[in-house]
This record gives sequence, C-alpha cells and structure tokens, in this order.
Amino acid sequence: MILILSDRRDDAVELVLPKLERRGARVTWWDPGDFPARGRLTAAFAGGGHRIVLDTGAERLDLSEVRAVWRRRPNAPAPGESVTEPSHRRHAIWQAEFLLDGVWELAPARWLPSRRDVERRAHNKIIHMAQAAALGFRVPETVYTNDPAELVPAYERAGGDLIAKQINSDEFTVDGADHRAYTTVLNRRHLTSRHRLQHEPVILQPYVPKAVELRVIVVGERVFAAEIDARASRTARDDWRHYDDDRVRYAAHRLPDALERACVELTASLGLTYGAIDLILTPDGEYTFLEINPNGAWGFVEQRAGLPVSEAIADWLVAADRAVDRAADNAVDRTAGDALDRTADHAAGDLADEKDGRS
Amino acid sequence: MSDFGTVLESGTRLLRGLPRRRAHVAQARREAAAWAAGHPGVQAQLVVDERPGTPVVDFDLLLEHPEGGTVALTAQADDGVPWLIDHSTHWAAGQLVTVDEVHLSVAQALTMIRSLSRRDTTPHDEIVDQCLILNEIAADDGPVPGEELQAAADEFRRGRGLHDRASTLAWLAEMGMTPEQFEDYIGGIARRRSFRRRKEAELGPARLAARPGDFDRVRAVWITGPERAVTGAVAELAVLGDKGTAALAELDGEIETVIAERFAVDLPAVLADAAPGAVAGPVPHGGGFLAGVVLDRTAARQDERTLAAAGRAAFTEWLAGRRREATVEWHWS
Repeated sequence: MILILSDRRDDAVELVLPKLERRGARVTWWDPGDFPARGRLTAAFAGGGHRIVLDTGAERLDLSEVRAVWRRRPNAPAPGESVTEPSHRRHAIWQAEFLLDGVWELAPARWLPSRRDVERRAHNKIIHMAQAAALGFRVPETVYTNDPAELVPAYERAGGDLIAKQINSDEFTVDGADHRAYTTVLNRRHLTSRHRLQHEPVILQPYVPKAVELRVIVVGERVFAAEIDARASRTARDDWRHYDDDRVRYAAHRLPDALERACVELTASLGLTYGAIDLILTPDGEYTFLEINPNGAWGFVEQRAGLPVSEAIADWLVAADRAVDRAADNAVDRTAGDALDRTADHAAGDLADEKDGRS
Repeated sequence: MSDFGTVLESGTRLLRGLPRRRAHVAQARREAAAWAAGHPGVQAQLVVDERPGTPVVDFDLLLEHPEGGTVALTAQADDGVPWLIDHSTHWAAGQLVTVDEVHLSVAQALTMIRSLSRRDTTPHDEIVDQCLILNEIAADDGPVPGEELQAAADEFRRGRGLHDRASTLAWLAEMGMTPEQFEDYIGGIARRRSFRRRKEAELGPARLAARPGDFDRVRAVWITGPERAVTGAVAELAVLGDKGTAALAELDGEIETVIAERFAVDLPAVLADAAPGAVAGPVPHGGGFLAGVVLDRTAARQDERTLAAAGRAAFTEWLAGRRREATVEWHWS
C-alpha cells in the first residue's frame, strides 16, 4: 500500500498517479489538512502491540499495511469550522500535529523524500551547504549574517557583483501588498541602508556567472538534470523563479558521472530519498552548488526538459512498497527499521538500473 | 560646528523625515524645496530614486561644498523594516495580468500583442482570451506537427507582409528576436490555433443542431449612416425586392450600403431573424444608425462551411463563458 500525503489540487500527484495505477499499486491520496476536521485517526496500544487506523472518510486504512509514503505538499492539520475560538483551534492543531508525527514514525514505511523533521533539517541552507562543501561540491563564498558591518566587505570581496537572498522563503507584505524577496543583485544604493541587516539575517554571495542554471532531481539513486538558460530573459536571468517561459530555454543536461554520484550522496546524507538540487554551470565549465530543496518542484523538469521524473517516483514508491513486503517476510531476526531501509534502497536502485540499462 | 556642518546636520534631518513612498514623492519634493530655500548657499537638489516593482523610493540630497565640488547626502532612519524586505518587489512586478493559473509577464504580453487579431475586441479582452487558451493548453507540451507550425508561420508572415527570408530576418532584428525565439513563438501560436480548431470541431455540430436558424444563409442589404439619412432611406429598402437594388444608387451620400450573403449569426443582429422583405431598423449601430432588409434566406444545411461557422460561433460563446468564470487580475491598473 502506498500513501500519498498532499493537497488535493497537487498537479505533481496527478502526474504520478496514472503511473502508479499502471504498475498495479494500491494507492491512497490523503491530505493531513483534512485532519481532524474530516479524517479520523486512532492509535491504539494493547497487549504489547499497537494498531493505527486512518479513516479518510472515503476508506479505512490500517497504517501497518502502508509500505511507502510520498510526503509531497501536505497541508497543516486544521480543525473543523465549528471550532471557532482561536486558542481552541491552536490547541486542536497542536494535538493533531503530535498524533500525526507519532503515527508516521510508527508506520513501517519508506518515505519520499523523508519524514517531516528530517525534511525540515535538510531544508536548512546552512546545514545542507555545509554538507555539500564537505562532499566536495564547489560552493560560492557565502556569508549568512545579520551584522551590518559584513555588508560592505562582502560587496568589495565580490568586486561589486554581490547578490542577496533570503535564508528561508516566507510571506510578507509592504503597504498591504504581497511582496517577494527574489535574488537581489546589489548596487551601491543597497549599501546605504546597511543598518537594516540587523533586523534579520540574509545570505550574501558573489554573483556566479552562468552559462546555464541546472535543476537536478534525485529520486533514490536516479538523477535527472535540466538546464535552464535564462540569459535571454531580462525578467528571469537573475532568478529563474520569475518564470518567463517564452524566453527561458529548458533542456536535458548530462552531468559528469562524479557529480551525479555526489548529488545522490548529498541527498542520502541528509536523510532524503528525493532532492531538487540547484547548480550553476559557469561559462568556464565549473559546476557550482547553490542549494537543495528536499521537496522542490520537478514538474517543469519533466514537462519542459522531457525528463521522466514521474516515472522514477512511481518506480521508487512501487519498489519500496514491494521490497518492504519481501523484507518483512524474511527479516525475522533483524531489527526491522534498518533492514527495511537497506532493502528498499537496493530494490529501488535495482529497478532504476534496469530502466537505465546499466548493469 | 561650521556653517556647512550645520547644513549637513539639517539636511540629514530632512532626509530622515521624508516619506519614502512613490505616492508621496510630490510632498517630499515640496519639503526639500522649502529646505533648499532656507539654505540658498548650497544649491540643494533632491534626487528621487524610484525603484521598479515597489512603492518604496530612496532620496539623495546634492549639496555644493563651500570649497567647490558636490556632496551627496543620503540617510535612512531605522524604521525597523528588515533589509531584504525594504528591497523586495511586489509579487507581480514585471507581470501584466493573471488569468486563473496563467501569469503573463510584461515581456510575454509585448510578444503576444504582435499576434493579436485586433478585430472586434479590445487588446485587453484579447489578451485575456489568449490567456484563457494558454490555461487550456498548459499541459500540452508535445511537439507541434511540422505542417501546423508552417501554417502558423505562413499566416503570421503574410499578416505582416514578410514575404521572403530577408524581410523576415529584418523584422526579427527590429523586434530583437533570434530565429530560435521566433520558432518558439510561432510554436506557441500554432498550439493555440490547434486548440481552437479542435474545440471548434468538437462544439460545432451541437451548436448547429441547437439553433440551426443561426446558420441560415441569408442575402441581405443594410445601410448605415447618420440617423436622419438612414431614416429617410428606409422607404427605398422596402421596395428593394421588387425593383432590384437600383434604388440604392439614389441614397444619401452619407449612407454606406452593404449587399452580402452571410450566415444569419454573422449579420447585424437586427437582421439575423428577419423575414425576407421585412425592413428592420433603423437601430443604433456603431455611433450611427442601421436599417436593412433580408432579400432571401436558405435554411441551414450540414455542410463543411456551415459546420465551420457553427464551430466558430460555439468557440466564441465558450470563450465568453470561460471569461465570465475566470479570475482576472490586472497588475497595472
């Protein structure tokens, strides 16, 4: 049994579902945002064991049967509309989150990309940048700081080509209108308000010249690299998230083997089975690491660059599902968690190798 | 403190108090002008830096140094706004309009304008219509068949008088498009054309069956012009059936006359359901008036031309329905 945790309008799930059906997988798509308002969840302990049942409203699921979980874009738990008092709502959400975290921990499943706490840790740019540097990725000279005195030296070290980014994306408004802090290319004007840095930390990096940007999708041990050439777009050339599809070119990209292996290693070392890694290929042929998004978007990699990511995700989920079943039959004298993790990894890898035609 | 030191201190105080919003620039200029009038010796000028995509503005004050040269003064108070937020942009900066799931950038809109039909509709409405179609074909990313690409390119070039390679390349250079970008651009047009044709073929038969009278072939005469002239000519229209169209030659010089065969749905509305021989109008029409008479009407038949007309009508109606349901947000209103 495969459980998909995501918003009901998630297009990425829609892309993968038909592939799972074609593989004969049993799938439940549930949004934790429906809990506790509509979903019912019970974890019952008795006789030295436990039983966890999820009633989605459409079906009842014994979580001991779930072998693979795809944690895509689930909404946060939300109580029913009749719970109106704000402190009651907060209380209900708090209780619901604890129950969810607990039962997910107990479900004997492989997770894509990971359980919530692992994803949250891996998402932290400081943590994953340190890990990438340790694994040998070329990382730009980067400063995370809220010290106003750091701004001018960073600007000078970068020869005046300095960019600023936020450490984590979040919503905010200016004069009541939603604003975004995209990658900002600094000019001298930005230095004149350096005191504002004290209010929140930012990322300062030299502008890395680019031949193309790359989004590398890792699914288990499979790697898909899409190049994004935004040089022709005034809107998107400094930050492709401005999306200017008429002028931005997407294409499949072949990474050097060692870099491809490093991407898999980085993803795994952060406890993830999926990762979206952003790199820059400089005009002199160097690959520079920017960041890894543990649940980053891949739809455009499939649709614009023609790379079969949804097939790979379906393969991984089905392989994990079946491998855990096989392992559960055999692993009577081993610690279940470790053994299942290893078996599922190998099964997913084997399947990927078959599809890639590798021995 | 020297006189100039005092001026600097005062200028700093001025800058720290100016309202840093685009909407209040005029007020800031007035305050700076008053300050400059009070300090005539330094030839003060306010420089306003209006950043794109945000209501936030920056100011500098240029002053003449007593020993010659310019001093540029800038100052920002600590208002508690974090640095990246102060330098952020509106979420839709660089975008023209959002129609449902489609965000159309200014650059995309400028490109799109080159392919608008400019018929019977405003550019605003046509851009929204194109976005609605983009919503429909968002998931359609397969290759465009070569013949469809060629047909779209031929039509586009014909429409702009680009009859040979040299004129096309000159046009591309003028527009700042590379041949690759042009190919992508034409690919987009071909996709939209292809969707439209599919939808017309899908909807046409049902549209024809639902109201076949709309696709009667109707031969009619109608006149347009100032109210007085059209009203005066109605009597001539009444006798057209008996005397041919000769009477039209005698009409007021301000009147424009059309003799045509059309599908009923494509006629001026007042004539669409009119019986042969009955004069319709005068009715207000495009700033003037219109009157007309149906000469003869042939019932609709299910041939290729009629189905194509039914498809076009059905598509227009489908698009109007989508437009009514769509969420449209213009970002530069």
